[in-house]
Amino acid sequence: MAKRITIDPITRIEGHLRIDVEVDNNAVSNAWASCTMWRGIEKILRGRDPRDAWLFTQRFCGVCTTVHAMASVRAVEDALKLEVPLNAQYIRNLILIAHALHDHIVHFYQLSALDWVDILQIPKADPAATQKLAESISPWTRNSRNEFKAAQDRVNAVAASGQLGIFMNGYWGHPAMRLSPDVNLLAFTHYIQALEYQRKALQVVGILGSKTPHIQNLTVGGVANAIDLDSANALNMDRLEMIRVLLEEVVQFIHQVYFVDVCAVAAMYPEWFKIGSGVRNYLAVPDLPLDSAGTSYDLPGGYIMDGNIAGTRPFKTASDKVFRDSVSEDVAHAYYQGKAFHPWSGETEPQFTGWDGEQKYSWVKAPRFNGQPMQVGPLAQVLVGFAQSHPLTVKYATQAINNVQAVGGVRVTPDMLHSTLGRHAARAIRASMLAELAQKHLQLLTDNIAKGDYTVHNQPVFPSHEVEGVGTHEAPRGTLSHWIVIKDEKIKNYQAVVPSTWNASPRDANGAHGPYEASLLHTPLARPEEPLEVLRTVHSFDPCMACACHAFDPDGKQIAKAKIL
Amino acid sequence: MKKVLIGGIGNVLLGDDGVGPYLAQLLLSRYEFGEGVEVVDLGTPALDLIDQISGRDLVILIDSIDIDAAPGTVRLYRKDEIMQHRPAVRMDPHSPALVDTLLSAELFGVAPANLLLVGVAAESYEPSCSLSEPVRAALDQAIAPILRELDRNRVAYRLSKNPTEVKAWWATDEKMESPLLAR
Repeated sequence: MAKRITIDPITRIEGHLRIDVEVDNNAVSNAWASCTMWRGIEKILRGRDPRDAWLFTQRFCGVCTTVHAMASVRAVEDALKLEVPLNAQYIRNLILIAHALHDHIVHFYQLSALDWVDILQIPKADPAATQKLAESISPWTRNSRNEFKAAQDRVNAVAASGQLGIFMNGYWGHPAMRLSPDVNLLAFTHYIQALEYQRKALQVVGILGSKTPHIQNLTVGGVANAIDLDSANALNMDRLEMIRVLLEEVVQFIHQVYFVDVCAVAAMYPEWFKIGSGVRNYLAVPDLPLDSAGTSYDLPGGYIMDGNIAGTRPFKTASDKVFRDSVSEDVAHAYYQGKAFHPWSGETEPQFTGWDGEQKYSWVKAPRFNGQPMQVGPLAQVLVGFAQSHPLTVKYATQAINNVQAVGGVRVTPDMLHSTLGRHAARAIRASMLAELAQKHLQLLTDNIAKGDYTVHNQPVFPSHEVEGVGTHEAPRGTLSHWIVIKDEKIKNYQAVVPSTWNASPRDANGAHGPYEASLLHTPLARPEEPLEVLRTVHSFDPCMACACHAFDPDGKQIAKAKIL
Repeated sequence: MKKVLIGGIGNVLLGDDGVGPYLAQLLLSRYEFGEGVEVVDLGTPALDLIDQISGRDLVILIDSIDIDAAPGTVRLYRKDEIMQHRPAVRMDPHSPALVDTLLSAELFGVAPANLLLVGVAAESYEPSCSLSEPVRAALDQAIAPILRELDRNRVAYRLSKNPTEVKAWWATDEKMESPLLAR
């Protein structure tokens, strides 16, 4: 008989995601992803000045502040057909890249590495042997015996204190944990080091955005950064140099540590290239514009239906007509009134009816593309890039495939990327591309300033008639889009369709599962009462429900629990 | 010189959850602080909070809390209590991040020696940019323990000679004036 397991909320993610799985013969036979929080912040924006929207939208979520600020100014610029000066594009791109690098490092080490790394094995490791192993796969200079020993001592101290602290929620000693003590120590040491490098990435955001956690330098039409190479109070040579030094360290960590670790872990859990596929429709928007009008980009976009990578349809621009016309939000299984709406005419009228897997069960709406569920995130981006022979994607994807083969003897084919490990590998590939692009865009900015171009802003002009716009950003968790309707210089309607809404969406009117749900089907569970395997797949999406749903649950539980019902 | 952080945590778009950021701005408008003291509107940080609290001697966080008490009730929580009585203290929407952050900081050896959480019981978390009446009435009550904690730690502050307007740009009136103009 099928047993029901509820995980509410999933550990180590921000916000309130609830997963219900039905388990039959130690494998998942059905799944529901739901969000236990109500969403409706967009209503606050109605009637406000479109120039201010970004200040409010960057408060949607504390994890992804900059991405919502950026999508918002882009939405207004799209509605006004307003171009953005080159300097402003480069500065924005650098902020977006630095934020993404920070986010990807934190995701892998702080939020998901411990699904694969068993802390309890670390006391058995040999730091000298760990150093030897590490040197065989990476030139990282901090792979030293001393650093490994210090990390091991920390774990020993925690174990000796009897208080597991941050580790108290882990499934230690679980049969699905399979790394050797030395590999566990290697990954854990990088988990500690990761803290320093994600901070350096955030410092770049802070220098350019003048403040974190909430950047201050955006304006509709550009940025507010003053550029003056001779002024101490402006973006000058000193600051550009500070950014260069910080980026160099972050880039090295991405290429020599994060990328290498993901490939190594993947090589040791090859069966996870066959688990967790789910929805094989993918969506990514182009990003990192290279000109004022936004006609060419450093990251390609497009969509893939039914896993047909060869049949990828590219998007020409970040607000491609096909994208604009194809998005709707279905509420058949979400706690809202009404039917499926296009975001420009979207409504957010709550109708809470309690959790019912057959009827309504989530506060997340179900975004659909031509009526189909879509998976978004780094995997989508890497697949559409690979299909278009995007050189950077091909470069790092090839390198990842070679690394996995060298460490574990596993030959990864593109088809295996439709999986839990495929999502982790794609994120590491994307981070490696972004690391390289960070340095490129800093150079582009420096060169453009050196030419004497100090322009950072174009004045917005609002027409008297009603205009609509969409602002997109290929965010760390995937395609983000802000949809705005402007009339008389005021916001008439505003909807944010966020990456986690695509991925965590409930079933739609046709009964089609959302990506989280579909990815869990058939997952084998070694110990259903400790559903580590479910966490592995859900975490591989990098869920962040803080922005998928914006308020809190009055009856929610604070600590994640897995219970058999 | 002591390194001190006074951080207001909360979502300014969710009614009383904005009490932390509002109090941070209120403190800045009324008081002058000595060197080494940073007063910041932190928004809703997740694990990023670790970068804010690490390496400080004293951290005072201000947040809305969801407890079984009258709205506006002010409760204090110390570091040990937050880490140990994890299930007992519920602070939404971001309390998991606060607890996880502290536990991580402890593991990494960067946790502040001294941490005080000043919690203000909320009435409403409905989307809105203003505070409820009971929470508004409790603002001074929430400031008192913050100043006491600074005194206890011999951290200097004084009433500002020229108090300014509270720079809570999100707390707009019904006319919805542009926060960009107000700044």
